[in-house]
Amino acid sequence: MGSHAKAWLVEDETASEMLERVQTERPFLLLPPLHRVPIRVGNVVELVGPSSSSKTHILIQAAITCILPKQWNGVSYGGLGHSAMFIDLDCRFDISRFSELLNHRIMEAGSSSNVDCHKMDSEDQFAGMKHYNEELFALCMKRFLYIRCYDSSEFLATLKTLHYRIRKEREAHGLNVHLLLIDSIGAFHWLDRGSSSFPPEGDNRKSWHLQNVSEAVVQEIRRLLLVHPMLVMATKAVVLGNNYSTNELTRNYGKWPAADNPYSRNVTSSDRQLPYREYMPAVWQSFVTHRTLVRATDDDLVNEERPNNSVYLLEWLMPPVNSLEKFTVTDTGVFILS
Amino acid sequence: MAPLKNLETEYPIIDSSFRNFCASHGIFSVEDFLIHDLYMLAAFAEQNNSSERLKEGITQVLSIIDDMHQPWLNGMELLEDAKRNKHVLPTGIQGIDLLLGGGIHIGQLTELVGPSSSGKTQVCLQTASNVASTHMVLYLDTGNSFSPERIAYFLGKTNDLASAQAENQILQKVMSNILCHSVFDIFAMFDVLHQLESHLRYQDGGGCQMRLLIVDSISSLISPVLGSNSTQGRALMLSAGYLLKKLAHQHNLAVLVINHTVGSEGGSSKPALGDGWKSIPHSRLFLSCVHGSNDYNVLILKHPSKASGTAARFVI
Repeated sequence: MGSHAKAWLVEDETASEMLERVQTERPFLLLPPLHRVPIRVGNVVELVGPSSSSKTHILIQAAITCILPKQWNGVSYGGLGHSAMFIDLDCRFDISRFSELLNHRIMEAGSSSNVDCHKMDSEDQFAGMKHYNEELFALCMKRFLYIRCYDSSEFLATLKTLHYRIRKEREAHGLNVHLLLIDSIGAFHWLDRGSSSFPPEGDNRKSWHLQNVSEAVVQEIRRLLLVHPMLVMATKAVVLGNNYSTNELTRNYGKWPAADNPYSRNVTSSDRQLPYREYMPAVWQSFVTHRTLVRATDDDLVNEERPNNSVYLLEWLMPPVNSLEKFTVTDTGVFILS
Repeated sequence: MAPLKNLETEYPIIDSSFRNFCASHGIFSVEDFLIHDLYMLAAFAEQNNSSERLKEGITQVLSIIDDMHQPWLNGMELLEDAKRNKHVLPTGIQGIDLLLGGGIHIGQLTELVGPSSSGKTQVCLQTASNVASTHMVLYLDTGNSFSPERIAYFLGKTNDLASAQAENQILQKVMSNILCHSVFDIFAMFDVLHQLESHLRYQDGGGCQMRLLIVDSISSLISPVLGSNSTQGRALMLSAGYLLKKLAHQHNLAVLVINHTVGSEGGSSKPALGDGWKSIPHSRLFLSCVHGSNDYNVLILKHPSKASGTAARFVI
């Protein structure tokens, strides 16, 4: 009995061992433009912004960073080498665009590492290089898992069986899913709000209503994170109030007033701190650990290297960071401007 | 959603005692399962004296749920499908095809927005006549704007044929490949689209495939149900959007819809379907006519791969 108690008291690991273990198991992820705040597996990051404010693009770049290897054939790609899952609720994902962007990242890493070995210009080596790139491309693409959902019941069915899916992935390819991307979380909000709940047959029957659906979604993701530590990134489309102009309206027309949209009047004194009207139920709001607001700016970046790219602004709402990130999105990734 | 009762014939494990257990937790259908905590349910089953059978039943329902979502695909499988099925359909209008990199995308929803007489219907008719020489086209017409004469005119312009007989043959073929339906409210559109869905699902893949669906115009169907504060209206609008996107993706259709503009304060104009609809289409093109000429302007407001703000001119 005495030895039993003693064994229980013996430390499992020292603090430094623990720190090392946590940092390898749950490393900080640097995903520009979200680099200002340390983010790690287990967090739930919400990207809030109006339509065409590069939200989906940020998700795609994060997915590419996740599926690229850290190093491959002596070339450093700076990726994580894990799987990424993309749940598409907007049903607008374009795989050709995704593969183009992945190819750009692979080529860029390859060419920048060639600077020190100029002898690469022989044709054999070039062909070999191309072959390597294609092999790496296929490897990465297989780490990207995609599903689209056309309504909330499909979304819930996906989440409820996701645990099995992730386990299958690990058994088949020995890969862990590190990133769960949801584009966009509020997509079915108005569908569920409009759905008439059927008359309850039993006293304790839950009706198919927005509140219950959101609770079930949060509960499933929370469960999942306990078993499979992942970083969750979700976009949320919002309509900004009139003090913010949106890219599309002002840049192209300058005349379309944002003032008469039916939601601007909701931005009243009670929620003045938010530049948009919050519509997601509180259960989701309290589940989110990090929140940023992205929006397009009116100025175009006229630059020799990156001509005609739109410039976006990112603002941290949670935790509040007192600085605006200015960034642009190109074929080879997200670039911070200031 | 089917009540659990109906599942017993196919899955004997979902018997009356399992259903009673579920009913005591307020579960009567598979849909109820979706919003219930199945771990809690399994924990309750554990306390029951026939726990093994109950847990087996829960596992069975989970595997039914697993069939309720779309399949998971990896990037390579997606790319393969895109390369095989998701091409671009040329509109036959040079300016637009050049701007969009070949035409409108199969599997995607493309929206044309613009004031009246900015060429929206003309672009639809020209695209229909161009696609119909090889594929079927469904044209949903909400305002009697479909014009076979215009189609014939476009065909005569593009096909410079010597014999009148050959010209007539092509005209016959194109006309029989375009199905035009008049729909005057959103429910009629749902009817037609659901019919189309079941038709496309059971067609054997032979013969002339449908590749283009045109809704001229989506805004005149949706605007009437959008009240100032109507959640029902918004729900209908989103359902329509998701149904169109589902058809586009699963049956490899390019979907082309027209959105009008309405006047707003200050004498300017804005799209009739505004912020709530904006997240639905993949691409949004703004059309306008150039004063004092027969030219039109097209401007990309949104596109998955082209920069927004680029513009081109075209003639019809």
